[in-house]
Amino acid sequence: MSQDIATIRVTRYRPEKDAKPFFQEYKVPYRHDMVVLDALNYIKAEIDGSLTYRWSCRMGVCGSCGANIDGEPKLTCASFLHDFKGRTITVEPMPNFPVIKDLVVDMEDFMEKLVKIKPWIIREKETPPEQGEYKQSAQELERYSQFSSCINCMLCYAACPIYGLNEKFLGPAATALAYRYIEDSRDQGKDVRFPVVHEMEGVWECTLVGECSVVCPKGVDPMLAIQKTKILGATNAIKSLLMPRGGH
Amino acid sequence: MEDNKRYPELRRRLSPGWWTANRHYTMYMVREWTSLFVALYSLIFIYGLSLWAMGSRADFLSFLKNPAIVGFSLIALVFTMYHAATWFYLLGAIAPVKIGRSRTKPWQALVLNLILLVIISYLAIWLLVLR
Amino acid sequence: MKAETHKVARLHAMLWGIFSLGGMIAAFLLPVLIYMTAIAYPYSLWPFNGVRDPSFLVTGHLLGALFIFVTIAGSLYHGIFRFQSALTEVGLLKYRRALEAVGYFIIFVGIIALAYYLVRWYLNGTIT
Repeated sequence: MSQDIATIRVTRYRPEKDAKPFFQEYKVPYRHDMVVLDALNYIKAEIDGSLTYRWSCRMGVCGSCGANIDGEPKLTCASFLHDFKGRTITVEPMPNFPVIKDLVVDMEDFMEKLVKIKPWIIREKETPPEQGEYKQSAQELERYSQFSSCINCMLCYAACPIYGLNEKFLGPAATALAYRYIEDSRDQGKDVRFPVVHEMEGVWECTLVGECSVVCPKGVDPMLAIQKTKILGATNAIKSLLMPRGGH
Repeated sequence: MEDNKRYPELRRRLSPGWWTANRHYTMYMVREWTSLFVALYSLIFIYGLSLWAMGSRADFLSFLKNPAIVGFSLIALVFTMYHAATWFYLLGAIAPVKIGRSRTKPWQALVLNLILLVIISYLAIWLLVLR
Repeated sequence: MKAETHKVARLHAMLWGIFSLGGMIAAFLLPVLIYMTAIAYPYSLWPFNGVRDPSFLVTGHLLGALFIFVTIAGSLYHGIFRFQSALTEVGLLKYRRALEAVGYFIIFVGIIALAYYLVRWYLNGTIT
């Protein structure tokens, strides 16, 4: 048989059966346009129905299918097999998260952090719809639009060694989203968000490893958001020192 | 975060050798450890200055000429330059300048700031020694 | 959802600001200081290829003393701050408090000593 074959090494872990994770290899027919998710779906459909993993949109917008592929955090739906050397590809769960089963990780910590930064427009006073929409110029939009592209895939947390060492760290995506709202001209929630991002486990833990921005599939650049938030924090602190009664 | 008691989980945490896993991480660790040489050089320099205060100017000058001090200082200079280069690159990454519709790239900030470093260094020598 | 309190780490924000300033200082001013004292002077290269030596601050030269103070104090602060953080990343995270205490102590003592030595020379003028 001259069919092209790819070998997929997948981490298996069944908490009720296995003391620790192990690799299982599957042989998958290879097509040039295959992504890793296609291979996993083939395995589940044709070879081993017990393989467990998350996926949804299969086109890189839902953020469900994050995994460690040949050692790098990537979306399985966005990783073409032909981009990897050779025909053997290793798929592991995203690092820095607890593993529930096989490639499925526990996202609760990130979910809590997402809620903490209140990812919605906060107004001191809502204007009634009859008064019309909130207007925003193109320049005002540009200040935050990059950071609104986040799909919550958590690859940045998988890549961040600071989060890997200290689970309390607020982390790249949550900070980038907080920054997205801080910079949104329609938002008036700085008083609520600053304490979250400027506490010790907020931005101050970040030491500019920068891997978060390298792995982000949507070009959000969370490292940039964190640094800008740090600068805001430092200038706020100095301002509060010089003008104790002054405003922000 | 409280322990999840709904289902058992495998907790994995990073080992102290996490930074050997890939090149980006290793280069990051090298970059951070340049700080050791910056700090050590500063402390050794302060010690040298103390020789002057407790002894004489000649003590300070012969301290500067000591081969061990020169050797360490040269290593410290290499690491300081690596700190400077990575610092300039990071400045470019976190503070891009908008020119028209495009933004500056980090390597441009690196080049620009290196030129600035040369200018500032010359100014320092001129102001302090030559004038 | 349990109520959470978040406290802005204002002191740390300012300490980080100083650390950033120290990084600029170490990047822009430290190289020329090391060049002057470890290369130019020992090897008699420009600008010390004539009669002068790095005792430019002994002539009561305020600018020289200021230059040394800013460069060394800034570099010391930046170096210790960052090194202490680097240590927490190679397995010493649980000793973070102790590392911070030791680090700030070294910075404090170092800067006081530096200022003391420099003031002594500046006031003494042409000390031999």
